[in-house]
Amino acid sequence: MNSAPGQLVIETAGLQKTYGGKVPTPVLFGIDLRVRAGEFVAIIGQSGSGKSTLLNILGALDVPTEGTVKIDGVDISTLTEDGLAMLRSKVVGFVFQQHFLLAELTCLENALLPIIIQTGAATAEETEWISKLLKRVGLEDQIDKSPDTMSGGQNQRCAIVRALANRPKLVLADEPTGNLDSRSGEEVFRLMREMSTEIGVAFVMVTHDERLAHQADRILLIEDGLMRQLTKEEHRLQMGS
Amino acid sequence: MNLAQFLPLRIRFESQLAWRHLRSGGNQTWLTVAAVASGVIVVVFIMGLIFGLQKRLSSLLTDSIPHVTIRVPQGKPIPFGDTPSGAGTISSSLSEMQAPQRKNIDDWRTVLSVASAIPNVRAVTPAVFGQGFASKGANPVGLTVTGADPTQQELISPITKNLISGHYQGLAADEVVIEYQNAKDLNVGVGDRIRITSISGIPEPLRIAGIYSKGQGAGSAYVTLRTGQSMLSIGNSVNVVYVKVFDIYGADAVAERLSVLLDCDVKSWSSEFPSFVTSLRAQSASAYLISGFTLIASSFAIASVLIVSVQRKSKQIGILKSIGARSDQILLVFMLEGLGIAIAGSVSGAITGMAVIYLLSLPKQAPLRFGGVPEPVFPVTLDPIYILAAMGAAIAATVLAAMLPARSAAKMNPVDALR
Repeated sequence: MNSAPGQLVIETAGLQKTYGGKVPTPVLFGIDLRVRAGEFVAIIGQSGSGKSTLLNILGALDVPTEGTVKIDGVDISTLTEDGLAMLRSKVVGFVFQQHFLLAELTCLENALLPIIIQTGAATAEETEWISKLLKRVGLEDQIDKSPDTMSGGQNQRCAIVRALANRPKLVLADEPTGNLDSRSGEEVFRLMREMSTEIGVAFVMVTHDERLAHQADRILLIEDGLMRQLTKEEHRLQMGS
Repeated sequence: MNLAQFLPLRIRFESQLAWRHLRSGGNQTWLTVAAVASGVIVVVFIMGLIFGLQKRLSSLLTDSIPHVTIRVPQGKPIPFGDTPSGAGTISSSLSEMQAPQRKNIDDWRTVLSVASAIPNVRAVTPAVFGQGFASKGANPVGLTVTGADPTQQELISPITKNLISGHYQGLAADEVVIEYQNAKDLNVGVGDRIRITSISGIPEPLRIAGIYSKGQGAGSAYVTLRTGQSMLSIGNSVNVVYVKVFDIYGADAVAERLSVLLDCDVKSWSSEFPSFVTSLRAQSASAYLISGFTLIASSFAIASVLIVSVQRKSKQIGILKSIGARSDQILLVFMLEGLGIAIAGSVSGAITGMAVIYLLSLPKQAPLRFGGVPEPVFPVTLDPIYILAAMGAAIAATVLAAMLPARSAAKMNPVDALR
């Protein structure tokens, strides 16, 4: 399922988003973004700058007010609700600030969830693949445990495996280390970075942690609804200031 | 063994998640199941009690009477002025009953074959019926006389099971079975001889073969058909044909059909006791109303619990949608959750309801009539149809109640849910 290196996974052109209501609130003004397979992109910006809104649109959870969004070459505006669900299921993986694991399921069942939703049951091969991933992130002892009995870092690692379960082309991570202590945060980030390289999946991570962002392949800054790419030097200077 | 492997793949995820929701719901799940069960218990109890009461009342009335009675046609009233004797002498507003042309059913064998062929007819019995009085010495007592073959008469109006002493089956031509009150008034017992004089004025000396009591006051004296025909001097004819049906509420239809097919006066039991039928219908309507309102009330309780449950699971719904769950899958999860509650609640409610009905049927009261058997204090009945209907209605009401929260869950925007 993963894309060939260099293949465009995300392509947006003139993406705008305005929230309705009594007073319309524009959030994003013409975002042009391209993300290729295997890239690790960090999006930074102030709270309320529209980072999460952009991430929701890139994950086909929300639709833009203007502009086009292509995920794996498919214009999401042409898809029905079921089509969007299918796209999310096959192409996109999500990691949120909170792990959002289902308390009713074990660690392994949570990680298998995207497969089970799609096909009803996981094959032996798929279960083996997920077990390997869980082992890879150090959760081999937690496979049959409930999320309630696992630590925050362990839960977030399980959530990363869940995001990778369907071998997606793109993983969108919305402040995945935001709820973790610095050590666990570092560990989770390192795992995502390694997965991106090992599996060849594109990662787009929204973060407030400048140190982690600095380790991404590209750093994108959203300011006043507009996005621009920062060089490592610009970002270092920004971190210093 | 993992039971989930037996579920179709199409609904396996939804079923498993619904089951996990119920399992992890703890007290909330138990309370919701209890709400459905309570509704079913009330419905089973009300139905058991009201229909049991109806059954007892109906059987008290209709077990001992024919459900349809066929007689020779009654004359139609005609204006008195139109009669030859009254023409021009008395106001034509007065009227009198025409004298019947026929008094007996001579071709009663045809009547039997026609009636027997009608659906719902259980038994058809030719009989003679008339007024008379019984005497022992100088002590005459008014009564009615029914002459019929004892075996066939049992099918219409059971005598043997109400016998206090003596016998009815194998009744000889010179024997009679009389009601307890009549025996008491005549001061006679089994084996004594009495004289019964019919309206034709022919006295018939008969030996008392049995005494019965139905607990409904003085009843008929039963003789054989041949003796009855002889007492009423009607040769080989009969003056009435009795019909018993399987479904007493279908007696009207049988009577209507017979009216069309026979040149006779046909009446069903319900046309002779219209107020009784009306009160039975009112009771049934009350039972259905109470049951309906009970189920509606429990549905609201279930809907409100499930709405809260959906609100609590909004983040889970958001994450499921974000990882590819379709709206119809989310809808199915919550509908299956409702169905699980409905099935568990209705089964446990039906079992508890049946246990309550069984316990209520145990206390007995003293027999209401002499020689009778003790009757239950609560005349409850356990009809599988009503229990299944109560379960079905509870399941339907609960699934309907689950539909509202399930639909709102399915429609939930994942972005809003995760916010």
